[in-house]
Amino acid sequence: MSRKIIKSKYDLYEEKIETIAEVPSEKEKPLAPNSKLKYVGKDVNRYDGYDKVSGSAIYTIDKVLPNMVFARVMVSPHPHAKIKSIDVSKALKLKGVLHIITNENTSEIPWYYNTSKLFDKHLRYQGDEVACVAAETEKIAEEALSLIKVEYEIMPHVVTAESAMKENAPKIHNNGNFGRPSEYTRGNFDEGIKQADVTIEDTFTTQVEVHNPTEVHCSVVNWDGGKLTVWDSTQSIFSVRDNVAQSLGLNASDVRVVKKYMGGGFGSKLEAGKYTVMAALLAKKIGRPVKAAMNRREMNLSVGNRPDSNQTITIGTKKDGTFTAMSHIAYGVMGAYPSGSSSYWPLRSIYKCPNIKIDNKSIYINAGRARPFRAPGHVQGTFALESIIDDLALKLGMDPIELRLKNYTEVDQDGDVPYTSKLLKEAYEKGAEEIGWKNRNKIPGSQTGEIKTGIGMASQIWWGGGAPPSYATLKLNSDGSAKIFSGTQDIGTGTYTFMQQIAADVLEIPIDKVNVDLGDTGTMPYSGGSGGSMTAPSVSPAVYDAAIQMKQKLISNAAAILEVDESNLIYSSGNISSKNDSSKSIEIKDVVGKIHERVLVTTGARNENPNGYAINSFGAQFAKVEVDTMTGIVRVKKIVAAHDIGRVLNRKTLENQFYGGVIMGLGYALMENRVIDDYTGKVLTTNLHDYKMPTMQDMPDIKVIIVSEEDNLISPTGVKGIGEPAMIPTPGAIANAVFNAIGVRIKSLPITPDKILEALNSKS
Amino acid sequence: MKMNLKFICNKNLVVTEVQPGKSLLDFIRKDLRLTGSKEGCREGDCGACTVLIGELENDRMIYKTVNSCIMPVGDINGKHLVTIEGLSDGKLNQIQNDFVEQGASQCGFCTPGFIVSLCGYFLSNEKPILKDAIDSLDGNVCRCTGYESIRNAINNSIVFLESNEGDSKRHIEKLVSSNFIPEYFLEIPQRLNNLSIDIQKDSVNGDAKQIIGGGTDLLVQRWEEIENADVNLIFNLHQNEKITVEDNICKIKATTTVSEFWESEIIKKYLPEITESLYLFGSLPIRNRATLGGNIINASPIADMTSILLALDAKLIIEGNSRKQIKLNEFYTGYKTMKLEPGEILDDIHIELPDEGARFNFEKISRRTYLDIASVNSSIYLVIDKDVISEVHLSAGGVAPIPLYLFETVNYLKGKEIAFETIKSAAEITLKEIKPISDARGSSAYKSLMLRNLLFAHFAKLFPNIIVVEELI
Repeated sequence: MSRKIIKSKYDLYEEKIETIAEVPSEKEKPLAPNSKLKYVGKDVNRYDGYDKVSGSAIYTIDKVLPNMVFARVMVSPHPHAKIKSIDVSKALKLKGVLHIITNENTSEIPWYYNTSKLFDKHLRYQGDEVACVAAETEKIAEEALSLIKVEYEIMPHVVTAESAMKENAPKIHNNGNFGRPSEYTRGNFDEGIKQADVTIEDTFTTQVEVHNPTEVHCSVVNWDGGKLTVWDSTQSIFSVRDNVAQSLGLNASDVRVVKKYMGGGFGSKLEAGKYTVMAALLAKKIGRPVKAAMNRREMNLSVGNRPDSNQTITIGTKKDGTFTAMSHIAYGVMGAYPSGSSSYWPLRSIYKCPNIKIDNKSIYINAGRARPFRAPGHVQGTFALESIIDDLALKLGMDPIELRLKNYTEVDQDGDVPYTSKLLKEAYEKGAEEIGWKNRNKIPGSQTGEIKTGIGMASQIWWGGGAPPSYATLKLNSDGSAKIFSGTQDIGTGTYTFMQQIAADVLEIPIDKVNVDLGDTGTMPYSGGSGGSMTAPSVSPAVYDAAIQMKQKLISNAAAILEVDESNLIYSSGNISSKNDSSKSIEIKDVVGKIHERVLVTTGARNENPNGYAINSFGAQFAKVEVDTMTGIVRVKKIVAAHDIGRVLNRKTLENQFYGGVIMGLGYALMENRVIDDYTGKVLTTNLHDYKMPTMQDMPDIKVIIVSEEDNLISPTGVKGIGEPAMIPTPGAIANAVFNAIGVRIKSLPITPDKILEALNSKS
Repeated sequence: MKMNLKFICNKNLVVTEVQPGKSLLDFIRKDLRLTGSKEGCREGDCGACTVLIGELENDRMIYKTVNSCIMPVGDINGKHLVTIEGLSDGKLNQIQNDFVEQGASQCGFCTPGFIVSLCGYFLSNEKPILKDAIDSLDGNVCRCTGYESIRNAINNSIVFLESNEGDSKRHIEKLVSSNFIPEYFLEIPQRLNNLSIDIQKDSVNGDAKQIIGGGTDLLVQRWEEIENADVNLIFNLHQNEKITVEDNICKIKATTTVSEFWESEIIKKYLPEITESLYLFGSLPIRNRATLGGNIINASPIADMTSILLALDAKLIIEGNSRKQIKLNEFYTGYKTMKLEPGEILDDIHIELPDEGARFNFEKISRRTYLDIASVNSSIYLVIDKDVISEVHLSAGGVAPIPLYLFETVNYLKGKEIAFETIKSAAEITLKEIKPISDARGSSAYKSLMLRNLLFAHFAKLFPNIIVVEELI
């Protein structure tokens, strides 16, 4: 099949990505509907199930190499300081210490877009790296850290956006505390407001949320001459490869990054950590493999978080609810180094509105840097937007869903192009029916009694259509088994499994004949990072393409073997036979066995995205809550997640992602919160005791409804990603349900018992 | 000083020498090289390191789940240690099969901990029910899977076990024949007996200054130091005689764990209302190791068990140069300071058995249901004589530098009738005698408001016919 080279353009976390990709030159016939397939769309068990339940899955943290030594990083105890001097002499004398690197003996390696270095004398947050020790054991390395003497010049710190924006605030970078702003206008906001009959404005705030995957960030590195192998707990092997190669001045091809199993990734593991590069420097010096792992405390200080937000939203509407103008003026903290904190995107894209004004500011503070976190900006933006829309509906005397439908759009508001598919209406309808929407309190807070129940909902938009380049290689062996190789990675979402399903269905062979190997930049074709809900929509068409090519290759080979014209051959259930002569038939394993190489190989590619369309996923979640008006405790009883996500590849892994997204959204809505003490500038929530995540008993009933079948305009597999959509509307739906229960709006997350009681007190 | 250690790990005998204070998890992962048990937090807050500890009691194996990260390795001497690797022997067990069938793991890092906890549940419950099985996972945190499919997997396992009723075999045999645990479990009692280890005596090192009970706080706060220290492991002392009654006094050894307190027939008989509150204490693996003595000496102002004991007007028996008795409500002198001299140890806790008609209630506010430290807690003990309070003890946690006994409120309440106005006035007095601070668990104003509501909740719960919450608020 012929190929062509294109410039692939897509949005990922506010970045406009442009990259060269090889794609099939023709549009392929799509994969058959799920109803006609044996494996795709079915409840197939996880490919990696055995390894995970038996405890035999080896994660990076479990990896042990012969002669391996251990690295530990010393971090700044101060939120803002300069290193005056470092004395490592005492630490070096400790038996078992092998080497120590600091700014004094390491070349300058730029970090954080050139705003800092691998070892910077200027320490901008509690957790900024000061030194790294390699020792025979972790314990010796840890002890050595306590023997390093550092003289700090302590500088004034600032840990909230409000203080950092003040003119006389301590400066974190030479050019001040403001990052790159996000500004946007559509139409004329002021004109739009003039046209409005009703205007509403309010301010909402959200907290900092920490990723806290269960496996800490860690790497094992080993040099073989000038070539480096890195085993990493990562969501993006190719990004780590490129980051590490660049930092060390190596060719990308001299760095091999491997990841088989990893313990959770929600955005913080999309790039190489400083610890990886430090481990490589130490390993080079010592000549032995090095393992560098963070501890839970560092996880809560350093490796990323969802930025907080302060969002002021204004909406002008006609009496009938038609939006005439919307604005989103916001700021949020991105930590000490460049990142982003904007939260406007849902407001800009989900409803029809001709006049939009957006101004989002990202602020530096002396704290760990923000990283993408499961739908960056969208979770906090959706909470604020969907809260104010419910308030507006009440003001207009409209049903909240009716108001949303009034401003429904069939075309993308930015590009004025149609969506490849949009089934949000269907999601509203089915979700409302399942939760019992008509039973909600018509007057919020009108129930009597200590326990009040409420029902609320929120809508969701995300990208997640996937994009090229993404490749998968398929190998067919002479025993009839197939193997897929792809440089993507399964972060627990089920990538291994759906790849197996697609190949088995296209080749019409039993699923247990298909094996999958992922996560190795050294041996596998390129695929992107597992972020942005990009993985399944990007790699599933590549596997499909590889399998289609394989089928064709088998037919061509069979034609030569059987001496029958290709057009007279039929492929069915792993057999190729002549239409006219039933004696001329061959099993595919025998085709492979008869050819000289004893193996057939194809490489498939993700197709080009269609021109003239916007690709987005949509959904709505509905929450039912109980609020104890005496203790202020909120219990979420039920969540209905109704979504348009294209084709379902695997019902089990799909539902699991939804359960996980909803529970994470629930944690964000009700309990998770990084707290920094303003006076000392130190983080108070550095362990899982103080940083609370939901446990089993906090779990509501969760019902997942998929309203879509397949979207063949996007790709032959017709898939949209679901990792992020699963979480986006949950906090907004819970907040609206709480409002419906108690009749007072909680405008700041997390919705903790104290806020509920305060709100109820102020109401009475 | 190293100690000789002999125990059975899964189906293998292990004989070795160790520093007894070393974290069991480090021993499992680094010395035994069994990496299925994961380190997630090293503080007993995530459950990724959960293992089972089996002990012989009257020829029967009792298995308990523990957080191996905060348990000293010396405490497994003479016991059966079960890790995830020991739960399947060649083929997956039924619980593991159900996890696969329900897709109950995503990244899989927490999965071994969940499966070990569940095996522990099935080993100790002959009549499993879904709600209790879920409760037994109160110490396991999952960040990806969202729990729903885990619940479905447990449900399947329970249904499978029920359908496998069969003949009236012993529970453990039934678990083996239903493929919940491998067959080698049946030989463990005999093999443990053959070790001939006296677990009460063989781990005690009377010369060591550092005493460790359950270690659930010590191994969090000072694990590096304890790993190489000479330690005296007292957790296994006083087996089978931890809670006794003598002359109307209930004597509780300081080494009694929260689980043992909860399961004690004596406590169930005399203080049934207390046992209903204990599921709010930490998590099952924490309750299996945390001792009452440790909870008192750790002196956290928000300790749940101390709050309960204050309301029971407990007396502490302290062993040192001489044996002395001190009331718990006079024990604390300031934040983490107390009337305990160097060389003295808390030996016994004494509570008077309650009078007929005594009532007890415990209330706690926290953000999540399980595994949470309260922001505010409170306990009350009341004896009522014809609607008049003849005896009362009341405590409050999280509202002062120490676990607080509310002396003034108690004085006020004594002799008063249970009535709407009495409770309101009592709450006003309470708010004057507390000194809450604002911290990560809540603002000072919130804690005051919460405590007032908890007081109301006590009376509303104990006297629903007289006190209606809506009227109080």
